Amino acid sequence: MVAPTAPQLSPRDREKSAAERAAIDASCRAPVVAFAASAVAWLLVGSVLALLASVKLHSPYFLTGSAELTFGRVRMAHLQAVGIGWSSLATVAAILWLMCRLSRAELVYPKLLHVSCALWNVGVFLAVFGIIFGDAQSVEWLDAPPYAAPFFVAALGIVSAWTVAVFRRRRESHVYVSQWYIMGAVFWFPWLYLVAQFMIFWSPATGVVQPIVNWWFGHNVLGLWFTPAAVGSAYYLIPKIIGRPVHSYYLSIIGFWSLALFYSWAGMHHLIGGPIPGWLASASTVGSMMMIIPVLAVAINHHMTMRGHFHRLRYSPALRFTVFGAIAYTAVSLQGSFEALKDFSEVTHFTHYTVAHAHLGAYGFVTMIYFGLFYYMIPRLTGREWASPVLIRVHFWCAAVGITTYFAALSIGGWWQGRMLNNPDVPFGKIVDYLRPHLFTRSVAGVLLTVGHLAFAASFVMNLGGWGKKRAGGPTFFVEPVQPAAPTHEAVAAS
Amino acid sequence: MDRGMVIFLGALLTFSSSWLGLILLPFWQLRDEQPYKKDDGDEPYPRPLQGKALAGKKVYQNNGCMYCHSQQVRSARFGNWWDATGEQKTGADIKRSWGQRRTVSRDYIYDNPTMLGTMRTGPDLANIGVRNPSEAWHHTHMFNPRSANAWSVMPSFAFFYTRERVVGARSDKALGLAREWTVDPGYRWRPSAAEWDAVLKERGDTILAGQAEAIDIKTAEGKKRLLDFWLTTPEEEYQVVPNADGDALVAYLLALRKAEVPLPEAKE
Repeated sequence: MVAPTAPQLSPRDREKSAAERAAIDASCRAPVVAFAASAVAWLLVGSVLALLASVKLHSPYFLTGSAELTFGRVRMAHLQAVGIGWSSLATVAAILWLMCRLSRAELVYPKLLHVSCALWNVGVFLAVFGIIFGDAQSVEWLDAPPYAAPFFVAALGIVSAWTVAVFRRRRESHVYVSQWYIMGAVFWFPWLYLVAQFMIFWSPATGVVQPIVNWWFGHNVLGLWFTPAAVGSAYYLIPKIIGRPVHSYYLSIIGFWSLALFYSWAGMHHLIGGPIPGWLASASTVGSMMMIIPVLAVAINHHMTMRGHFHRLRYSPALRFTVFGAIAYTAVSLQGSFEALKDFSEVTHFTHYTVAHAHLGAYGFVTMIYFGLFYYMIPRLTGREWASPVLIRVHFWCAAVGITTYFAALSIGGWWQGRMLNNPDVPFGKIVDYLRPHLFTRSVAGVLLTVGHLAFAASFVMNLGGWGKKRAGGPTFFVEPVQPAAPTHEAVAAS
Repeated sequence: MDRGMVIFLGALLTFSSSWLGLILLPFWQLRDEQPYKKDDGDEPYPRPLQGKALAGKKVYQNNGCMYCHSQQVRSARFGNWWDATGEQKTGADIKRSWGQRRTVSRDYIYDNPTMLGTMRTGPDLANIGVRNPSEAWHHTHMFNPRSANAWSVMPSFAFFYTRERVVGARSDKALGLAREWTVDPGYRWRPSAAEWDAVLKERGDTILAGQAEAIDIKTAEGKKRLLDFWLTTPEEEYQVVPNADGDALVAYLLALRKAEVPLPEAKE
């Protein structure tokens, strides 16, 4: 197979397409920056809540005595702040901008999206503070009090409608793989959310059907909302930054359809060993194992696209974050498939091993890719480059070292926690004592991650405040490349 | 794939398949489950929570207890371990006396929300009402878990309790905890040297009077010994009593008796 190359464009075509992109970015500017900025704000709130919860698990006297800051509430509030706040708002920012760019269409009625952004933020606010002040639901991922739900439904409805509207007005006849993922996400997530709300809160199914619905939702939020948007983002950014098309169109088709088919079947492995019909867990184990297909398809596709261009990771922050996320995607998904096997789950279920896995997915993969996307997207929206390469370096290394430490500490601790839980001769107190140093290490990792987030937020605020140099030449690099950046930087016809 | 309709229909079909298979099928399979009665005259099992226990479920729910405590007993064949002789065994949940049998879907028919849990930072609670039926123990443990187990990392739920001056007789709901736990609710208290000197000056004789053997409080060692004793006695003027939330939460824990009645489908 001949290696694909970027199409050759005349200087005039280049200029025309740059002007078109500028017009599209201008139409996106206000709403996408609003979604992105509120995402960053919730990331900071979520980090603080995470640190509180983490410290409390090894030092129970830390800030004890207040109902509002008790571990259970802070832990639930953390998940809402980062899951429904940061990651979901960043997902919306990604979806809107990528859809406009790839459809070569301006955002229609951009001002109405501010309503969606406001509703969403009110929803997250009610969720986080409703939980803190005692209205939590104890349904994992759906802990928000019921009065927050209408805000999400309305906000999500607007986002989905707008995304489809942009898609329908597309000027680009070729529909790129990222657009398939985005179309899937904006259709799947509202349905998922409504079914879960309906069957758990509005007309609750009782008994074990409830945890079944719960894990169908909880797992699919990751697989059919965050994953498609983040993988779609990587599919856009990697070719765009290195200046060559995606390795294989057919692999991307296989990756997309197998994800659509198998991921939605995988959720019940969270209930292995639980009081549910045996066939359900088996069906999900099969679904989880089949997930190896889309994961390998995406992994091979991204790796082959990157091949020969890995040296660019030294320079480009957007690429480095994205590639870190793409690698974590492969790792976390393969790990997830094996965790769904009964023998494996017998040890790791009910342990911190699962927590480590969840953070490798939600942070190592999804969050890192969104960081990458933001480093690429925000300058194009605000017209300013990032003011400080040092801040970006601090952000990257804190995030990368932080999540790696986090994952290692809890994976090792969680594995042995599971082995000891399975052995009734080990007294429970011994397991608690064994875990404390691992949980302490996790807190240290949490501090690192938070420092990274502060650096990121500082960069972000500086950019919005107009502190970076005007966008004219190349982007802000970690270090200036030895050779000038390839001229194809902006001009790849991924769209 | 250049047509939106193809993507839409494909996404609809793949997703519907899982919705039918993972949600509707189990919903139909499980919706007719009825409480179990061995003989016609027997009390049906399970029974819905009522009164204080029902209110306590809400407290459990609002405070995220299930993020550290599961409520499911796993099968006697679940989870491998090896005993001292190297023999392979299974079924730690039951051997840890978290329940006499595994729990099955019928144990949960009245649960809403059904808090199976996902983490065992603390022990399983499906059957805690049978395993530890002492209301007093649960209250002291809830007030400060370190008073029961030094290794515990469970949060103190002292905010479900009130520390109040004793007026007349002590309340029969008052916790039987010593002053090291009650003086500063939520923490383990120990007076500073100056504070201890002040206490000794004021009522050292009374405290000394309760001692079996003579303690010389002029020496540092004697002072420390008397302090250690004093800390393990209850406060005379104050008592700690549960508020409505604390009462309800313990009532809920005592009502958790999921693996108590044998069910035919739980046999293995």
